Amino acid sequence: MAPLTAASDEKTHQALLDKLDIYAISKSFRNPHWKPPQRRNKNVKQILAEVSRKEASVMATQNNSGASTPVLPHSEALTGGASTPVGNHQPPNIAQAARNLSTLVLEKNTRAAMGASPANGGPAATYTNIESAPSFHPNSQRRYCDITGLPAPYTDPKTRLRYHNKEIFGVIRTMPQNTTESYLAARGAHTVLK
Amino acid sequence: MAPSAISEVPPPSGRNSPKPEPAKIWSVSDPPFEGFKPIDTEGHACSNRDTAIVIDNGSSNVRAGWSFDSKPRISLPPLMARYRDRRIARTFTFVGSDIYSDGTARGQAKNVYEPGSNIINNWDCMEGVLDYCFIKLGVDGRNGGIDRPIVMTEPVANLGYTRKTMSEILFECYGAPSVAYGIDSLFSYSYNGGRNGLVVSSSYSSTHIIPVIESKALLSQATRLNWGRSQSAEYLLKLLRLKYPAFPGKISDTQAEDLVRDHCYVSRDYENELSHYLEWTGLEDRDHTIQFPYTEQVVVQKTEEELAIAAEKRKESGRRLQAQAAKMRLEKLKRKEEEYEYYVQLQAQLANTTKKEGKRILESNDFDDESQLEKRVRELEKSIKKARNKDVGDVEEEQQEEPTFPLLDVPDDQLDEESLKQKRQQKLLKSNYEARQRAKAEKEKEKARQAEEQRLDDERRENDFENWVEERRIARQAIIQKMRDRERLKAELGNRKSLANQMRMKSIANLASDNPTKKRRRGGGDDDTFGADDADWGVYRTIATGEQSDDEEEEDLNRELKNIEAQLLKHDPNFTEESTREAQTDWTKSLLHAFLHGPYPFDPESQKQAHQLHLNVERIRVPEVVFQPTIAGLDQAGIVEIAAGILTERLAESPYRNDILKDIFLTGGNTLFQGFEERLQDELRAVLPAELELGVRRAKDRVLDAWRGAAKWAGKAESKKAFVTRAEFMEKGGDYLKEHELGNASL
Repeated sequence: MAPLTAASDEKTHQALLDKLDIYAISKSFRNPHWKPPQRRNKNVKQILAEVSRKEASVMATQNNSGASTPVLPHSEALTGGASTPVGNHQPPNIAQAARNLSTLVLEKNTRAAMGASPANGGPAATYTNIESAPSFHPNSQRRYCDITGLPAPYTDPKTRLRYHNKEIFGVIRTMPQNTTESYLAARGAHTVLK
Repeated sequence: MAPSAISEVPPPSGRNSPKPEPAKIWSVSDPPFEGFKPIDTEGHACSNRDTAIVIDNGSSNVRAGWSFDSKPRISLPPLMARYRDRRIARTFTFVGSDIYSDGTARGQAKNVYEPGSNIINNWDCMEGVLDYCFIKLGVDGRNGGIDRPIVMTEPVANLGYTRKTMSEILFECYGAPSVAYGIDSLFSYSYNGGRNGLVVSSSYSSTHIIPVIESKALLSQATRLNWGRSQSAEYLLKLLRLKYPAFPGKISDTQAEDLVRDHCYVSRDYENELSHYLEWTGLEDRDHTIQFPYTEQVVVQKTEEELAIAAEKRKESGRRLQAQAAKMRLEKLKRKEEEYEYYVQLQAQLANTTKKEGKRILESNDFDDESQLEKRVRELEKSIKKARNKDVGDVEEEQQEEPTFPLLDVPDDQLDEESLKQKRQQKLLKSNYEARQRAKAEKEKEKARQAEEQRLDDERRENDFENWVEERRIARQAIIQKMRDRERLKAELGNRKSLANQMRMKSIANLASDNPTKKRRRGGGDDDTFGADDADWGVYRTIATGEQSDDEEEEDLNRELKNIEAQLLKHDPNFTEESTREAQTDWTKSLLHAFLHGPYPFDPESQKQAHQLHLNVERIRVPEVVFQPTIAGLDQAGIVEIAAGILTERLAESPYRNDILKDIFLTGGNTLFQGFEERLQDELRAVLPAELELGVRRAKDRVLDAWRGAAKWAGKAESKKAFVTRAEFMEKGGDYLKEHELGNASL
């Protein structure tokens, strides 16, 4: 335990910690019988994998059993999109849906299977499909020097680094390989070995 | 700001004059420990079962307060440290900025959110943060729960699992009677009175663009860009680590965030501003110097007096030594003189005695014969004379008489054994003497040759000037090339895997191995010819690295270069001061120097300067990522492209489009950059049809309005039906959600 400032000594610091500590404070608003579920900390990747697995299995069962399958409790078909402020006759957002094509296809299948009206807009917004698609704008092809960030008309064929002028090129050529790799990594263009 | 007009006129050498010391040096500070926050019971006392606790659950700061407040009562970073101090057998829990109060706590702190995303993945921390909020809001838990409705913000299209887990905690752990969720940026928009518009919300961990029509968000058209302030800070940190790989200090994440906030701005015309960013003129205004804490190495400066005393002491001890040596010399001289006298007497004695007696006397004095005695006497005489001369101080010019070697001409058979010996000696002496003479002659010849060369050179210069200059220039180029090669080799040797280094390792292995590398199938076994050629020894030069190895050579090259440049300067009118290597490699012309150290000279010895960071291009490069995500390796479209896509394609037929265009709304901490609004306006203007009216505005308070909007919404009567009650939670499960205008859609 390191006292933060020169002004505080061991004793005052401990007193400060006692004051700040909320472990000792009684938290009567908490349910004393509350037991958090095991392994509830999941990262985004795990959660997304679970979601897509669940979706796939739900869709599969619906495809098999057709209209006789009870409607999903939270599917769009139930609310009919009435309370959902999703598009009023908007064309489907293809760029977004392309990010998660399976969702689009599956949703279309469900709708077809359940005879929902095609007037309903595109796929519902999910965490994955609202992600912005890759750029198609020519501006995204602009090149900047990896070292200085200035406009870079040249590329070094050996290291694949972009550079602004010959002085920077001289620097690039004297760089060890791990440095050039980390410069590439800053631009996301590094080689990833899998 | 320093005046930029001082150095407009470049000095005649073409070098830029260094700028004066930076006018302002910024510093970094550690994340502040905000001090103990007392429990605020006043709010709880004013509240009743209908007034909600409003929590803006942001990834940079969690803000909490009551729905009737005008601003959040508490704001804390979503951090928690829980650890057990074994010494006193006690568990501590610190939340928010309290973790900065203690070293251990800081080390143990965990973030609620998954780094770089807006998804919660540490629920224990989340509980800790909520505990802290409820404690500080004075919730007393009289009825075994918090007993107040809760309004909480969540990200756009929040994941079902996250919402479910949050609901579980709120209902089951804290016993909340009802809970409502909403989207922070929509709360901010509604608080700022928006109805039809495009919400551009760039916050700590992500950027969202959401079209809103008739106060309803078109979530199906919402788009997320995975970039926010935290990613900017990380990117800046990455760039700085690459820029100063040997930086001795440590830049913490919070310091990087401070740097982004305090120094970065959005450039209105990125391409144009960027290409002039490192130009000398005005660089001192664009370059920000950040000083990190450092300890100056103390160089003990001795005073003049001390120096004088030390010198005196040294002199004194020198004198003492000299005196001692003189004394010793004197004694030795005395001894020698005595010896000399004795031997002279002996000689005299010998002359008077019989041969036999003489022989006995000689033997008793360790002499073989008389000639040896004679030699001895001569030697003594000489050395005494020499010593006397030295003491007296006048060095007599030693008369150089040509030594004679009389015995050499006498044939061997005329000599006895003794003389043969002497002859051999003389032979040796003679060859020695001759070698010396030869060397002398050679030296003189060399001198003459050089003088002749100089003369020829001068002549050539006068007669054939162009070729002379050409030759000099080629020679100069060759030296520069050599220097460059050496530099490159040095750099390559730094890399373990480079070809140069591998060659070096190979030669070391060859030298170290006992058996020769190439075994001849036929022929003589051990034919190690190493050393037969003088060039073989060069291998030791190539394997030697480090400072001592090429310093000499480098100096040689430098001297040679200087020499040639001096000649060129003197005689070639086209070769000016400006074209010397020194001037060309001058730091004031170096772009890289401007990039690394701004317009100021750099002294690698100075600890102060070693602990300085210079932010220049980064100041616009880092915020630019939101507009051009590809520069940071993010394969997504920038906000302008997204917004243009929504406005011109997806909503092209919407009757509300023109209304939306009039209200482009900025909110979130990452839009606080100076120039953000203007840049967005400019770029959108460029992609939209000219006749359409465009309006960009920002939230009154881009950071706190989300919370205010949520509080305002929570106070409205019609919002009540959007709350999920405890009974509904029990019946319908954790991911049950009631939709409302400012919240997510249920899936």
